[in-house]
Amino acid sequence: MSLNVDRDTSAFTFKGGMLPMTVMELTSADPEHIREQLAGKMNQAPAFFQHTPVVLSVERLDEPHLSLERICAVCRTHKLLPVAVRGGSDPVRQSAWALGLGWFPPLEASRPRPLESVSTNAERTPITEEEEEVTEMLPGGVGRIYRGTVRSGQQISAPEGDLVVVGAVNAGAEVLAGGSVHVYGPLRGRALAGIHGNPLASIFCRELRAELLSVAGNYKRLDDIDPRLLNTSVQIQLTDDQLSITPLD
Amino acid sequence: MAKIIVVTSGKGGVGKTTSAAAIATGLALRGQKTVVIDFDVGLRNLDLIMGCERRVVYDLVNVIQGEAGLNQALIRDKRVDNLHILPASQTRDKDALTNEGVEQIFKALSEDFDFIICDSPAGIERGAQLAMYFADEAIVVTNPEVSSVRDSDRMLGLLASKTRRAEQNEEPIKEHLMVTRYNPSRVDSGDMLNLDDIREILAIDLIGVIPESEAVLRASNQGVPVTHDSDSDAGLAYTDAVSRLLGEDLPLRLYGGQKKGLLSRMFGGTRR
Repeated sequence: MSLNVDRDTSAFTFKGGMLPMTVMELTSADPEHIREQLAGKMNQAPAFFQHTPVVLSVERLDEPHLSLERICAVCRTHKLLPVAVRGGSDPVRQSAWALGLGWFPPLEASRPRPLESVSTNAERTPITEEEEEVTEMLPGGVGRIYRGTVRSGQQISAPEGDLVVVGAVNAGAEVLAGGSVHVYGPLRGRALAGIHGNPLASIFCRELRAELLSVAGNYKRLDDIDPRLLNTSVQIQLTDDQLSITPLD
Repeated sequence: MAKIIVVTSGKGGVGKTTSAAAIATGLALRGQKTVVIDFDVGLRNLDLIMGCERRVVYDLVNVIQGEAGLNQALIRDKRVDNLHILPASQTRDKDALTNEGVEQIFKALSEDFDFIICDSPAGIERGAQLAMYFADEAIVVTNPEVSSVRDSDRMLGLLASKTRRAEQNEEPIKEHLMVTRYNPSRVDSGDMLNLDDIREILAIDLIGVIPESEAVLRASNQGVPVTHDSDSDAGLAYTDAVSRLLGEDLPLRLYGGQKKGLLSRMFGGTRR
């Protein structure tokens, strides 16, 4: 009951956010090696290195003791701001916390929670609370189904599995799923599939007019969509790290 | 038990107050005991549109804060017997409204009236949320333009989640779409959204289409709700909407702005 909240006394409100975040997937633990590569990248794309927040992913490294401090220092000298670490052993987690960084569980083990939420305590905020009740479980068990119009400002999500919307997703609305998103109606809002990074997730819709399409973090805006595909039935998949939109009929 | 109807839109300037006044007047003319409440505390306008601005002594906030009784604050309309106005305060802000206070007012009014019409402020903040919270039905006022339609869409989302009926899992609020400032010739020229597009996006029942009309402007400035102007296109359109609100099944009629024929287009004939 938000009506009873006394606005004068609350200092802040928690809001769930989906922020675009660069994940720096480390394949070497050697700070010098990282420094060389960063220097090269910085020459290629100086615009990217503007105190850009990054999440350091150490999942692919098999080293219990990382010199996290030195890696962070290398990043900072190249105008990257490490904000969190993903994966790694317990000592890695401890040293991340000691450095004032957040820690995310590795992808495989992570429970369904959007990795994009960078806040160190990635709690589910009440934003979706009102809508969560109106979706039903899909008969198969995982995933959710929503019947009706998803309206501007509403967010409907299926953190695990697929989300099926029987109706329209209007401009300003957002639908998200850990798996695929199916919209049996016009898709005018934002649709994000594979929010935990599943590259096999897809988006299907009857009438494409989406403000934003995203599969596993790869996105296209309305302006990037071939105008010939607008208002048609399409599926959106990830092929070679690119979103491809193909007609359904 | 009175039926509580909120007139809302999200966006400002689309004709909420004009519509609230016209509908309340229309209901009263049909013999329904009606009260229209201005929830736009701090920016009150309803009293001007209803032509009773010089008779305001106490207001909604005074009643909620116990400084005046409900009957002291209610203003009886000069023209229609069954119609009362509960004005908003111009000097307080919306934080002066409380959930419990509003509920008590509704309870008291419910005993005497058939319809309680709530004129919601623009926006989605506290004032607007309070105006809709106890509603049984909602009239969502929309102009034929993209931003207005999107704000109405947002409002419909809130009506389905942030109201008493939604929170207590009762039967959902009955939503009606009212398109105002509709100008068929500007729709034809592509300057405005057409009716089908609006209905498709918002996906709720249409209760009325009010043409863009000089009668509305005239009515607002004279403080006479446009429903009284029964010869005008807008007045007729509101009368139709009131009939639909009372459950009559009327076919949709578009008043005013007949499509220009080829000849008048060629010779630039002006209407009205």
